[in-house]
Amino acid sequence: MKLFCDIAYDSINKQNEELCGDKVEIVHTENSTIIILADGLGSGVKANILATMTSKIAGTMLREGASISETIETIISTLPVCNERKLAYSTFVILKIQKDGKAYMVEYDNPPIFFVRNEKKLILEKKVRMIHGKRILESQIQLNNRDTIILVSDGVIHAGVGGILNLGWQWENVSDYLIKQTKIEKCAKNISKKLIDTCTFLYDERPGDDTSVVAVKYREQEVIQLFAGPPENMDQDQEMVKNFLGAEGKKIICGGTAANIVSRETENEIVVDFETGNEEIPPMAKMKGIHLVTEGVITLSKVLENIDNYIRNNHIKQIPWKRDSKDGATKLTNVLIEDCTHLKFWVGKAINPAHQNPDLPRDLSIKIQVIVKLTELLKGLGKKVEIEYF
Amino acid sequence: MKTINVCIGSACHIKGAYKVINKFLKIVEERKLEDLVVVKAAFCLGECTKAVSVKIDEGKIHSLKEQDVEAFIDKYIL
Repeated sequence: MKLFCDIAYDSINKQNEELCGDKVEIVHTENSTIIILADGLGSGVKANILATMTSKIAGTMLREGASISETIETIISTLPVCNERKLAYSTFVILKIQKDGKAYMVEYDNPPIFFVRNEKKLILEKKVRMIHGKRILESQIQLNNRDTIILVSDGVIHAGVGGILNLGWQWENVSDYLIKQTKIEKCAKNISKKLIDTCTFLYDERPGDDTSVVAVKYREQEVIQLFAGPPENMDQDQEMVKNFLGAEGKKIICGGTAANIVSRETENEIVVDFETGNEEIPPMAKMKGIHLVTEGVITLSKVLENIDNYIRNNHIKQIPWKRDSKDGATKLTNVLIEDCTHLKFWVGKAINPAHQNPDLPRDLSIKIQVIVKLTELLKGLGKKVEIEYF
Repeated sequence: MKTINVCIGSACHIKGAYKVINKFLKIVEERKLEDLVVVKAAFCLGECTKAVSVKIDEGKIHSLKEQDVEAFIDKYIL
């Protein structure tokens, strides 16, 4: 069983601010992933500069192998001093996860990290260390499958202050909420989005502080092989189908001709399920050994639209597509957002002459562009995506 | 018993395959033709220029619009 670090983050700005005073930085090195969340003093430009400098310095130095003590010293001596408060200050939390699942955390003045294991909160044992007069908390743990770590800025803990909650949401309550969400939600992005969405609600859409969350879910890899379009050269059909079916993970086919080729090579019948279609999206089909069989470019374009809306829209309750809908685009969107951690597109470059017909919308000839855009969005969601052309 | 295959590939879908299939299903039901014919959706029949492509059993490809369905049944099924 291979495990994967599913990482997602979201932020909302304090009301009337164009810049966020929190900053998230994620750095991948050969042996580890380093995540930094910094919350700069104040709000707006000043806070943004402090948080950006803190997270960038930490990210760059730790990536290059500097010690935590050197890094903190550099941050403290570099940050500009605030004129009003005579302070140079940004809270931060650093989470380093090694390839072997060892996690190392450093916290400075941030709300304590949330750690959920087996649907319960886990209190980490923290060592106090003084570095250049600053009180730093250090902790270490070996991660298990389905462990979830959530880092937040204090905007989450204070959500609702001055509005619907006298004391704000408070750490214990946020913790209970997160335990529930980690039970329901499979992917990190949904947890992160739901938490930010709830904060927005508690602030009555007018956040009193910059509010950020980073969700990390340590979970099993889910590899998806997605075959879209037949190879340019028909002689390659047989070998490509063989390699595709032999590859690790779930198989998905997007495209009628691609499905026909697989059916021909494997002698497995395609059975179209007309019930799954509607006026917008053509129906799916069933084929032995294949997780999903859908039409090609119309379905993929809709999936691109769905994922784009999902990323932009903070209100997860108003998800831009119906989760209970049976059509191919909805099914594929869910699989890509929630299940998939690794995705490979097998893209044939054969051109369907009929799609060049000027009678048809131009959209039909843009499958490759749709796949390239989809790749960018999915990479932004932390998935490992590759495309191979045939 | 004849099988009517209606293509639901990308090109045919855009040209109204969904409506054509529903029209077929509606007529089959209204005229109680269930013993004579079965309507199936098919992945790309390979004649995308003839959207919406319709084929009876393994016969030749016909190009149909929603309003042609009634006449098509009269001509080829009955």
